[in-house]
Amino acid sequence: MRHISKFFFSVCIVLLSFLGNAQEKTTIKKDSIPPKKERYGLRVGVDLFKLTRSFYETDYRGLELVGDYRLTRRHYLAAEIGNEDKTVSDDQVNFTTKGTYLKAGFDYNSFQNWGNMENIISVGLRYGVSSFSQTLNSYQVYNPNPYFGESPVIISGEKFDGLSAQWIEVVAGMKAEVLSNIFVGFSVRLNRLVSQNRPNNFDNLYIPGFNRTYNGDFGIGFNYTVSYFIPLYKATVKAKKKEESKKKKK
Amino acid sequence: MKKILTLLLITISLSSCEKDDICIDETTPRLILEFYDISNPSNLKNVVNLKIKGVGQTDDLGIYNAVSKIELPLDITQDTTQYSLILNSTSSTGANEDFLQFNYTRQNVFVSRACGYKTVFELNGFPSGVIKTDAAIPEGFWIQDINILTTNIETENETHIKILF
Repeated sequence: MRHISKFFFSVCIVLLSFLGNAQEKTTIKKDSIPPKKERYGLRVGVDLFKLTRSFYETDYRGLELVGDYRLTRRHYLAAEIGNEDKTVSDDQVNFTTKGTYLKAGFDYNSFQNWGNMENIISVGLRYGVSSFSQTLNSYQVYNPNPYFGESPVIISGEKFDGLSAQWIEVVAGMKAEVLSNIFVGFSVRLNRLVSQNRPNNFDNLYIPGFNRTYNGDFGIGFNYTVSYFIPLYKATVKAKKKEESKKKKK
Repeated sequence: MKKILTLLLITISLSSCEKDDICIDETTPRLILEFYDISNPSNLKNVVNLKIKGVGQTDDLGIYNAVSKIELPLDITQDTTQYSLILNSTSSTGANEDFLQFNYTRQNVFVSRACGYKTVFELNGFPSGVIKTDAAIPEGFWIQDINILTTNIETENETHIKILF
């Protein structure tokens, strides 16, 4: 119940932010300067962090595709889809997590661009789902009183299939246009698990898309993206009330 | 921009904590023995110079004096553990050695990331759970009676076996 109300609350925040934006449309433009036009479209890209890590880290393989669609002047529908295969070698356990994830939500651009610049400094929310499997490769029994000798490493190989997790992410990020229609960006994410399907006699110590799990269901994420913007149409920027009142004073 | 910087700082500080997680949960338990007076079975009785050694081990577990409660580690790679218990071990004439063999089944249970797995034990039921044997040169038993209070060895917070002497 707690999780449902949390999700509901976050959905409300999303809806409220749209509501606030809708009010801007009621202002009537009285301007002789040619109206500023902004481009709307779809941006697709890839997470370079996961991609490069796959090359230099032998225990990791991952790919994440990112995309966003400009919905209003400040709001973007955003999504990430990815796949990860990671082997974690901790002191006590060695396991491999494999799986696919999807995150969907929105970004709100809080940056005021000059001229025709299209840079973004955004905050946003995502809802993430992941479907994965865990393989317990080996483990060592923790024995604080090793009178009969060090506890041996036990090779297990037990596989836990059909696991899943759902979570909410708070995203802060930025994107800058470095070449025409090419953007580089990065984002940091704070994750909070909503629900998870735990394996029997093991735990989801790593979840694809969510990353390492910490006690208290929190996680952190990071990506570094390069993306291409596909312009679809242009829309006139509607003047704001503030700008109008300034002109009246003059 | 400030928000992003704070988030970045949080990220860095959290990621640097990664290696710090230490196992603080209760893990593999020891067997808890409590010693009682045979003439008054509800009263605890302290042992005197009780030397305990695992059979096949080179080092003693310890020599216990003036205590009525002892923790014995069980072998987590075998289904049986045998200990030699010598009462009055420092005395040249009064020393008396008894052997206790514990027979059990084991199960490895996941605890947490830092602790990994622990082994919990289930003692075989009476009478094969604890078997008492005398020293190679018979000298009589100093242990008069053994009561298994619980066969589940999952925590050190309770007494598992009561020994009367």
